[in-house]
Amino acid sequence: MQAYKRIDITKDQVIPIAEKMRKAGVILTMIHGFLNEEGKLDISWEYQVEPVIESYHVVGETTLPSIGEIYDCAAAWPERELNELYGVEFEGLDTSKRLFLPEEMLETQGKGQIMVTPLEELRAKNIKEG
Amino acid sequence: MSYIVPIGPYHPALEEPIHAKLYTEGELIKDAEVFVGYNHRGIEKLATERNAIQTLVLVERVCGICSHSHALTYAMCVEQINGVEVPKRGEYIRVITAELERLHSHLLWLGVACHVIGHDSMFMHIWDERELVMDLLEELSGNRVNYAMVTIGGARRDINDELKAKLLKSLDKLKGPMDRIVEIALNDKTIALRTKGVGVLEKDVAVRLGAIGPHARASGVDVDVRRDSPYCSYGDFKFDIPVVQSGDVFARVVVRALECYESIKIIEQALNNLPDGPINLGNKLPKIQKGSAVCRHEAPRGQLTQMVVGNGGFNNYRVSIHVPSYKNTPTVPYMLRGNSVADAGLIIASIDPCFSCLDR
Repeated sequence: MQAYKRIDITKDQVIPIAEKMRKAGVILTMIHGFLNEEGKLDISWEYQVEPVIESYHVVGETTLPSIGEIYDCAAAWPERELNELYGVEFEGLDTSKRLFLPEEMLETQGKGQIMVTPLEELRAKNIKEG
Repeated sequence: MSYIVPIGPYHPALEEPIHAKLYTEGELIKDAEVFVGYNHRGIEKLATERNAIQTLVLVERVCGICSHSHALTYAMCVEQINGVEVPKRGEYIRVITAELERLHSHLLWLGVACHVIGHDSMFMHIWDERELVMDLLEELSGNRVNYAMVTIGGARRDINDELKAKLLKSLDKLKGPMDRIVEIALNDKTIALRTKGVGVLEKDVAVRLGAIGPHARASGVDVDVRRDSPYCSYGDFKFDIPVVQSGDVFARVVVRALECYESIKIIEQALNNLPDGPINLGNKLPKIQKGSAVCRHEAPRGQLTQMVVGNGGFNNYRVSIHVPSYKNTPTVPYMLRGNSVADAGLIIASIDPCFSCLDR
C-alpha cells in the first residue's frame, strides 16, 4: 500500500510549505478539495515526498493564498478548478477565464454550485429548463 | 504579419476537442494558449451517488485507452481506506492488465505520431502489431476496451495455464516486430527530421510546470510511481525506466518505444511467477469506511492520482480524479513557442493528450 500522511495546517502555512517543497524539488501531486460533513471546505495540497504523499489540509477557509507563483500551472490549474467547482477564492489567481465548466453555466448558476448542489436538484432543474 | 490561428475545438487534425490559439508572426508561433473543458461529463459528481462497485464501472468510462488505470487507482483508494490486503495473485493479474494497457497505449501513440508526421506506412505497420496486444486484452478480459478486470479486493478474472501459455507465446511473437518498429523509429530520416529539436521542453521547465510520465522522462525528469512508491507488487519485478535528456518530440518517441520493452519484461515476469491462491476477497459489496486516501498509479500517459473520501456508507462521499493530461497539457503553450505552425499538431499530439481523461 502506498503511504499517505495527513497533516493539518493553517492557511498562513500554505505558502511557506510550498516554497520549502519547491526548493527541495518536491513535485506537487495535486490540490484536492471537498465539502466535509459539517459543511466546511477541506482543501488539501498533496506533495510527493517519495515514497510518501504528504497531504496538507486547511479546513473551513473560503479564501486561501495561491501558490501559482511558486508551482506555476501545476498549482494554478487545480486552483482554478476548485474555484469553479467550490467557489474557493485563491488570492492572486487569475480566474477571468473558464477552465472546465461552460461559460453559460458559470454565468447562470455561479461558481461553486455544481459540487454542492444535490444531483437530484440539478436533474430537476435541467428537466425544467429543457 | 501577425495572425491569430485558432485550432479546434473541433478540427480534422484533432481526435478529441481542445481549442488552441496560436499567436504567429508569419509561420513562427510567438505565443499560444490552450482551452479545455469541451468534454466535461461531471463524473466526479456522479461518483458521489454510486457505491464502490458501481464506481469501478463509472471511472472506467473516464477514458477508453487507460480504463484499467482508473479502476485500479479507485480500487486502491477504497482498499487503503478499508485497510484491505489484496491477494498476491490478484495484484499480479492487475499488473499484467496494466502493462498490456501501457503496451497498447504506447503503440497507439507511436502510430498516431507517425500519422501526424506523414509516415502513414509506419502508422499502419504499428497499428497492425497493436492488434496483437488488443487480442491479448480481449483474451484476458473479454473486452477490447473497458476491461472490467478490477474489483475491490483483487481481480475479477483469473489466468489459467492455457491462457498463460498463450500470452507468453504472443508476447514472444511481438518482440520481432517491436525490434523493427523501434529500429525504424530511432533511425528513420523522415521521423528524425520532423521530430528532432521540435517542441523542446527543458528539464527545469518540465519540473516547474509539473510535467509527468513519459513526457517528463523525455525531458530528463526521472520519475515513475512504479519504482518511487511501489504498489500492486511492482516491487517484485525488475525493469528499467528509460529517461532521455533532449526534451524534444523525438525524445518522447524514444521513451515510449523503449517503455514497450519494459512492459513486455514485466508481463513475462508476472506470468512466470504468478503466485497460487485466490484472486480476490469475494463479491460482497463493501462499505467505504470513514476516512480518505490518495493513491497513485503510473498510467500509460503518466501518474494518475485519485482521492476518495468515505463516510462509512456504501456510496462515496467524494471522488477526485487527476489524470496525467491534467499535468501535461499546461506545458503545450511553452513547447509551441518558437516552432512553426506546421509543427503545432505534432507538438500537441506529442504529450499523448487525452481530453476525455482531462475533462472527466
